[in-house]
Amino acid sequence: MKPRLRRRPELVSVPVFAVAVVGGWEFVVRLFGVSAYVLPPPSSIVMALARGFNTPIGSREGFLLHMGYTGAETVLGFLMGSLTGILLGTLLSQFQLLEKTLLPFIVGFQSMPKVAVAPLFLIWFGFGLESKVLIAALITFFPLLVNSLVGLHSVPEDRLDLMRVLSASRWQTFQMVQFPTALPFVFAGLELGVVYSLIGAIVGEFLGGERGLGVLIMQMNLVADIAGVFAALVILSSMGILLHVVIRRVERRVLFWAPREWQQTGA
Amino acid sequence: METSSAQAPGGRPSAEADAASAGAAGGPLIAIRGLSKVYTTAGGDEVLALEGIDLDIRPGEFLTVAGPSGCGKSTLLKILAGLLRPTSGSVLLRGTPVTGPRREIGVVFQSPVLLPWRTVLQNTLLPAQVRRAEMGAAEERARELLRMVGLAGFENAYPRELSGGMEQRTAITRALLTDPEILLMDEPFGALDAMTREAMNLELRRIWRESGKTVFFITHSIPEAVFLADRVLILSPRPGRVVKILEVDLPSDRDLDLMGTDRFGAHTRQLRALFGTKGGIG
Repeated sequence: MKPRLRRRPELVSVPVFAVAVVGGWEFVVRLFGVSAYVLPPPSSIVMALARGFNTPIGSREGFLLHMGYTGAETVLGFLMGSLTGILLGTLLSQFQLLEKTLLPFIVGFQSMPKVAVAPLFLIWFGFGLESKVLIAALITFFPLLVNSLVGLHSVPEDRLDLMRVLSASRWQTFQMVQFPTALPFVFAGLELGVVYSLIGAIVGEFLGGERGLGVLIMQMNLVADIAGVFAALVILSSMGILLHVVIRRVERRVLFWAPREWQQTGA
Repeated sequence: METSSAQAPGGRPSAEADAASAGAAGGPLIAIRGLSKVYTTAGGDEVLALEGIDLDIRPGEFLTVAGPSGCGKSTLLKILAGLLRPTSGSVLLRGTPVTGPRREIGVVFQSPVLLPWRTVLQNTLLPAQVRRAEMGAAEERARELLRMVGLAGFENAYPRELSGGMEQRTAITRALLTDPEILLMDEPFGALDAMTREAMNLELRRIWRESGKTVFFITHSIPEAVFLADRVLILSPRPGRVVKILEVDLPSDRDLDLMGTDRFGAHTRQLRALFGTKGGIG
């Protein structure tokens, strides 16, 4: 145990820091008598969490139903957005004229904050699941489009020369060299995309809906259940971490060959 | 061009005379005639990389190409490989013009260009896969070639687990897999340390003698150029022109001790002198 801790001192420092922050928070709130409407102590957030999970499954009062709803929107939006992003990126990389034609529009759209179109999506697609999925998909789409395009263009010239010397077909070159070379970029996009997707789902829920953690946060805010709001935030960040971890796991499996830097930074 | 009057050491006839006699006896494998290449830079300037190259490559010979950096050696190789088109002149492979990559030609690049997601064996098999060859037979051959270059036991290793020499040996195996008649090599050992490089030179000589392939090998190391070659083609600084073709008059059974002999020294001195008069190698 000891040598392991010496190699990775963060195994101790991280929990110590967490305990210190939570303890300090609790202490300060109690010491100065901060109103629970402004900043609830961690203990009451934990209680709100316990209350929220200790409800019948499917209850509108509980967290599970809303988590499931937000989770479904996020995952569906992520899948839709990333698949279309990768597909369009691939298409553009293969047809120069198409890329040159569409690139100015893509850059234009990309510099616009995508969440700003969310209200329109609610009008177009209603207050149900669909509008949230589409908002999530839209903002996931761009990092994947751009990253796969950049990745597919980053293939070293000597790898292409190798395939040319072998008289490889376009499809062979794409499938054996270009696509695998682009994968680290694609995964960097997926890591961003999964977080964006959750943001999209929540923004959509803020604007209107019946279920989801975003809806719940708005309702709790309205009745000044601040501990409940914090509890929902804790759940949201846990969901974000979980999604991120899943992507990283897949990434490590698929990109076993890539140098570590690729898996840490992104394009 | 001073080629015509050149006399190789040992009183052998000049390179051109030799080429002519080879031509009489069945013709060159590759005939390069009046080859020039002009590049257009990003700034729109035209750069003459190669000018008026005439060269016959004989079947089965080991030809090394030496010249200063930027003399167009790699450009010449890329034209032979069918990756670049010459601006003027022609390249004939057994009488037919080379206009694109050819099956008879295998290429080893400056860097090994291994695909990091493939094992040594999978990298070696790439050409067979691209050509949709029968994979069972190809794998058998790949394993045999890997054994020949001393990579037995590393078939399932990934490139990042290999040393530079092993990577380049994998690249050579890959080029040999489809049994090309001609091997074009662009400074394949340039990035290796001196010891590994000498070992690779020995190995390459052995592979060449066993396989009977024609090798066109670019280097900027004078001893390497002499040690490997039957003939050394010397190019001038940009634009690359043929300065001389030096016949190497050394026994064909070569080991590293050869490099310490006077005869070897005479060859390298001659090469250095040629570079000296042409502005040096660099």
